[in-house]
Amino acid sequence: MSDHRDEKLESLLHSRRVEAARLDLATRISLKAQTVPQIQNISLWQSLRQLFSELHLPKPGYVLASALVLGMVMGFNTTPDNSTIQDANYTTTQSMIPGDEGFL
Amino acid sequence: MATPWPDKDDHELLALVQEGSHPAFAELVRRHTERYYRLAFRYLQNREAAEDMVQDAFLKLWEDPHRWHADKNTKFTTWFYRVVVNLCLDLHKKKQPSELNEDMPIIDDRESADEAMQRKQQQIALEGAIAALPERQRTAINLCYDEGLSNQDAADVMAINLKALQSLVMRAKATLKERLKSYL
Repeated sequence: MSDHRDEKLESLLHSRRVEAARLDLATRISLKAQTVPQIQNISLWQSLRQLFSELHLPKPGYVLASALVLGMVMGFNTTPDNSTIQDANYTTTQSMIPGDEGFL
Repeated sequence: MATPWPDKDDHELLALVQEGSHPAFAELVRRHTERYYRLAFRYLQNREAAEDMVQDAFLKLWEDPHRWHADKNTKFTTWFYRVVVNLCLDLHKKKQPSELNEDMPIIDDRESADEAMQRKQQQIALEGAIAALPERQRTAINLCYDEGLSNQDAADVMAINLKALQSLVMRAKATLKERLKSYL
């Protein structure tokens, strides 16, 4: 009796019905995926490159080179100061002595 | 000459999907939709719900293909069965699956009307009894009685050994025999 019930149950389990999917299911899924953006794994370097291009920032190398050139230009254009420390001290001392007590 | 899409294996296709290849994704979908739909239908007993479930599963894969790791030493099909099972179980927790569609066409023309009616009633009772099983027993039954999946494949999907799977199936069948005794 138990064997008969086992067999009957097996038969029922093997004959489970599945309603067929619509024929265009795979096509619909593929088409839908075209509207879904992918999450892309990108490296830190790639994300920095993206940041610079999106914000229109100049590339770091160009920034450094520009700073160096600018610094050199400013440096060459500045008037050199030839005074020495002694001169600086003399000037300070003179300014402390009242006018009618200047050096004899 | 480039390998045609149907000749590429699943791992090759997945590597291409991870690089953003839509044709590779379309081939993967074409190749596997039917099997995952059948599994989803066993859980949900509703064609539209099963189609939506399979679509969701594939779209999640497309959106984040790096969820799949080729070095896991697992077949894609096994891994994706797990994804579909988990989605179906989550949905099942949220709501009760639909009743078996009583308008589902009867295919076997050799049967008389009475036999067909009896078989329909048996199917309804069977699906109700399976839906009432504990999660793991239900999954074991749905996987083991799915054509195209061996018991070892089913065990791999559930991440258990063969003996544990057989134990789950045995307990499930004992419960089903009890609940369906008037039909057996």
